[in-house]
Amino acid sequence: MTAPLLSIEDLIIEFDTQQGRRRVVDGVSFSVAQGEVLGILGESGSGKTLSTLSILGLVPGRPGVVSGHIRAHTDGGEVDFLAELPSVVSGGTAERAYQKDDRRWQRIVQRTMKPYWGQFATAVFQNPKQSLDPLMTIGRQLDESVSLADPSLDRAAVRARSVDWLRRVQLHDPVRVAASYAHELSGGMCQRAMIAVALAREPRLLIADEPTTGLDTTVRAEIVGLFKALLRDRRRAMLYISHDIREVLFLADRVIVMRHGKVLEETSADDLRHGRGRRHPYTASLLEAADLPVGEAA
Amino acid sequence: MTAKWSDLGLRLSGAVVVAVMVVGLVALVIPYDPADAVSYDSLLNPPSAAHWLGTDGQGRDVLMRLVKGTEAFFLPGLMGGLIAVVLGGLAGAYTGYASGPLRSALVGLLQLVDTLPRLVFIILLCTIRNPSIPLIAVVAGLLFVPTVATVVRRKVEALASEDYILAHIAHGFTPARILLHHILWLQCWPLLVRQAAFVFGYVLFVETGLSYLGDYGVQEPDPSWGNMVAQVKDLAGAGAWPWLAPAVAIVVTIASFLAFGNLVARKGEEALR
Amino acid sequence: MSGAASFLALAGRRIAASLLLLVGASFLIYFTIRSAPGDAVDAITPMGTPPEIKEKLAAEFGLDQGVLGGYGVWLSRSATGDFGESLVFAPGQTVMEVAGPAFEKTLLLSGGALFATVVLSILLALLLGEPSARQQGLTGALYFITSAPGFVSAVVFSAAVNAGVQRFVEQAGHETPAWYPIPIYSDSIVPYFFAGFVLVMGDGLLMDTFNAVRAEILGVRGAQFISAVRARGASVTPHLWLNLAIPIFSAFVSRLPVVLGGVVIVEYVFTLDGAGYLLLEASKQRDFPVVVGLSVLFTLAVIVVGLLSDVARSVIDQREVARDG
Repeated sequence: MTAPLLSIEDLIIEFDTQQGRRRVVDGVSFSVAQGEVLGILGESGSGKTLSTLSILGLVPGRPGVVSGHIRAHTDGGEVDFLAELPSVVSGGTAERAYQKDDRRWQRIVQRTMKPYWGQFATAVFQNPKQSLDPLMTIGRQLDESVSLADPSLDRAAVRARSVDWLRRVQLHDPVRVAASYAHELSGGMCQRAMIAVALAREPRLLIADEPTTGLDTTVRAEIVGLFKALLRDRRRAMLYISHDIREVLFLADRVIVMRHGKVLEETSADDLRHGRGRRHPYTASLLEAADLPVGEAA
Repeated sequence: MTAKWSDLGLRLSGAVVVAVMVVGLVALVIPYDPADAVSYDSLLNPPSAAHWLGTDGQGRDVLMRLVKGTEAFFLPGLMGGLIAVVLGGLAGAYTGYASGPLRSALVGLLQLVDTLPRLVFIILLCTIRNPSIPLIAVVAGLLFVPTVATVVRRKVEALASEDYILAHIAHGFTPARILLHHILWLQCWPLLVRQAAFVFGYVLFVETGLSYLGDYGVQEPDPSWGNMVAQVKDLAGAGAWPWLAPAVAIVVTIASFLAFGNLVARKGEEALR
Repeated sequence: MSGAASFLALAGRRIAASLLLLVGASFLIYFTIRSAPGDAVDAITPMGTPPEIKEKLAAEFGLDQGVLGGYGVWLSRSATGDFGESLVFAPGQTVMEVAGPAFEKTLLLSGGALFATVVLSILLALLLGEPSARQQGLTGALYFITSAPGFVSAVVFSAAVNAGVQRFVEQAGHETPAWYPIPIYSDSIVPYFFAGFVLVMGDGLLMDTFNAVRAEILGVRGAQFISAVRARGASVTPHLWLNLAIPIFSAFVSRLPVVLGGVVIVEYVFTLDGAGYLLLEASKQRDFPVVVGLSVLFTLAVIVVGLLSDVARSVIDQREVARDG
C-alpha cells in the first residue's frame, strides 16, 4: 500500500468555555490515500467539521488545546502540521495551548500553513453565497486561483482557463457567470462556482464541508453528482463531510462515522452499501433511518 | 476578565451619575445669591479647608458655584432625554409597524429633522430669539427624535417576525398593546436608556458650550460650568482652579453618563437574549 | 436593465431625494425664522437698523407675505446662491463673498480632522485587534479623554500649550511664535493643526470611529469568504480592503455632521476665521443674512456628503443597485 496523502493521529481539540474546558474532538485518527474519497459521517456537533478544518488550521474561535499529529505527504516529504507549530505552553510535548496569546498564535498558524493552503488542500464550505467575496466577480476570484496554480499564464490565458473551469462545473453561459457577482446567482450556482474556484487551485486534497446544506433537494443531487464527475479521474483526494448517509455512500470509497468527538467506526463504503459486516448500533440506526439495508448490528 | 472591567466601569460611572443626580437635586433647594458671594478679600485662593476648590477671580467659592451650576443643565437634560426617548420611541414603534401615507410622511419628517446640523440649528434659533436653556433642551430633545426613532424602528422590524410576537398577535392582543408593552417597554428599554443618557450628555454639552461662548445660555453672574470655564480668558494663567475644576466636572459627567448608558444597555441586552 | 442604466437611474433617484430633503430642511430653517416673537424684522435685525434696510430685508425674506409665500420668495433667491448682503460683519459684501471662503476653510479643517481620525482608528484597530481584557483599561482611559466636549479640550489644550511655550521661551530666550498666546489672530497655520488635533480628540469622535472601524474590520476578517480565500492560498489583503472600503467610507461620511457641529465651537476658541467662527460672530452681532446663509450651507454640506456616500456605495457594491432597482 502506498503512503497515505494525509493521516491524522490522536487528534484532540478542546475549547475553553465559561463552563470550563470542553473536549470537542476526542482522539480522532484517520487517513486518506492519494485519489481516495473519504466520507465523514456524523450529526452536527460530532466534531467532524472541526477535525477536518484543523487540517487547514482554520479552527474558529479560541481553542484551549490542540494535540496529536496531522501528517501530510507533500512533494517535500512528510510534515506534521501540529509539530510545525511551536508549543506555547511549556512542559507538554504534544499539547499546544494557545488561549494566552490568541493573535500571536493565529499569526504562527498563518505563517506555517501558508505554503500548504491551496496547494496541498483547500476547502468548500456550506452556505456557498457567503464563501464568495460579495464585491468581486466570480471571474476575478477564479482568475486568482488559476494564476496561483500556474503563475506562467498571461491574463488572457488565465481568463480562458477560468471560463473553462466554469464550464467543467456545468454552469451554462460561463462567460456571463464569470462577469457576475455572488448575489446575482442562485445558491446552487454559487456552490458550483465555489467548487470551480477551489479546484482551479489544483489542490491534492479537497475538503468539502457539508457542501449541500441549505440547498434545495434537486440542487443537492446535482452538486453531489458534480463531485462524482469531477473526481472520476482520481487525480485528487477528497474528504466529504456530511450528515446525509446517502450522499456519503454515493461518493465515498471509505467511510468513518463520528459522534461526540470520537470515531465510532471505519468501514468500506461497499460494505455499508450492501449491508455486509457488523455495524455499530449508531451506524445501524442511521442506515435504518435512511431505509438502507442494515446487515448485522453489533 | 472582561466582565470585571465593565463591572468596574459600571460602578464608577454609576457613582458619578448618582452623585450628579443628588447634587442636581440639592442645588435646586440651596439658596445662592451670586452678588453676595463676591468677596474681594479672598481672590483666587488655592484650595483650602474653607474653600475646598479655592475661589475665583471675584473671590467666589468654586465648589459652591460648581454645585449651583448643575441647575443649568440638570432638569433641562432630563427633560431633553425624556422628550427624545418618548417621542422617538413612539415614532419608531409606529414607523416600524405601520404602513401607508401617514407613515411615509412621518419617515420623511424624521429624515428632514435628521439632516439639520444640530448645533448650527441651535445657534440659528439663539440668533432669532435667544431662548432659555429649558427651551434649548426641548429643541435638542426634538432634534434627537429621529436618532431614537431609527434604532427603535430597526428593533421593531427585527422583532415583528419573531415567533412569540406572532403568538401574541394570534392570542388577540391589540397591536398597540404589543407595540407599547411587549416591544417598546420590555424589549427596547436598553436602547432607550442608552439614548436618554446620550441626550442628557448632549444637553450638558450644548448648555456649557453656549454659556462658554457668553452671549447665549447662562449669563454671569449666574453660575454655569460653561461660563466658569470661560473665566480662563480673563485669568490668563493667574490660576487654574476656577476653570479647571468645571472643565474636569464637564468631562467626568459627560463620560460617565455615556458610559453608564452604554453599560446598562449592554447588560440589559444580554439579559434579554 | 443594463448595469450602467440601472446605476444612472439609481443615482437620479438619490439626487432627486436629496433635493427634496434640501427643500424640506430649508423650509424648517425658514419656519424657524418666521417663528420669531413679535415683529419678525425687528427680531432679526440689530438695534438701530435704518428703516430702508429693514424694508429691504423684509422683502428679501418674504416677511411681508404668509409663511408659504414668503418661503417661495426666499427659496427662489437662495436657490441661486443669493443670500443677500451682510449687515454688520462686512457691510456691503454679499453673504456668499463672506461665507464662501470661510466655509472652504471649515470643510478643509473638518474633513482633514475626520480623515486623520479614520486613519488613526484603522491603525489602532489593526494594532489592537480583538477586544481583550488587557485593552479594556486602555480603551476606557481613551474613552474618558475623548468624550470631552471640543471646547473643553480646546481650552485645556491651549492653556497647556501656552504654559509650555512660555516656559520654553523663558528658558531658551527665543522669540515667541506668531500664534502665541492662543487664541490670537495670526496668519500662522499652526492653530489650524491645534484645532484639528482637538477635533480628533474631542466630542467622543475618536472612540466612536475606532469602535465602528474595528467592528467592521473584525466582521470582514471573520467572514466565511475570507476563510475560503485563505484556504485556497490566495492573498487575503485585496479582499479585506475591497470589502472594508464602503464601511470605512461610511464611517467617515456619517460622522461629518458631528464634526461640523464640533468645529463651530473649536474654531471660535482658537479664533480661526472659518465658517464656525463666522457663524458665532455673525450671530452675536445679529448679522442675520450671514447666519441664515451659513445655516443653509452647513445643511447643504451634510446632504451633499450623504448623497456622495450613497452613490459611491453603489459604484463599489453592485448589490445596492440590485436592491434598489
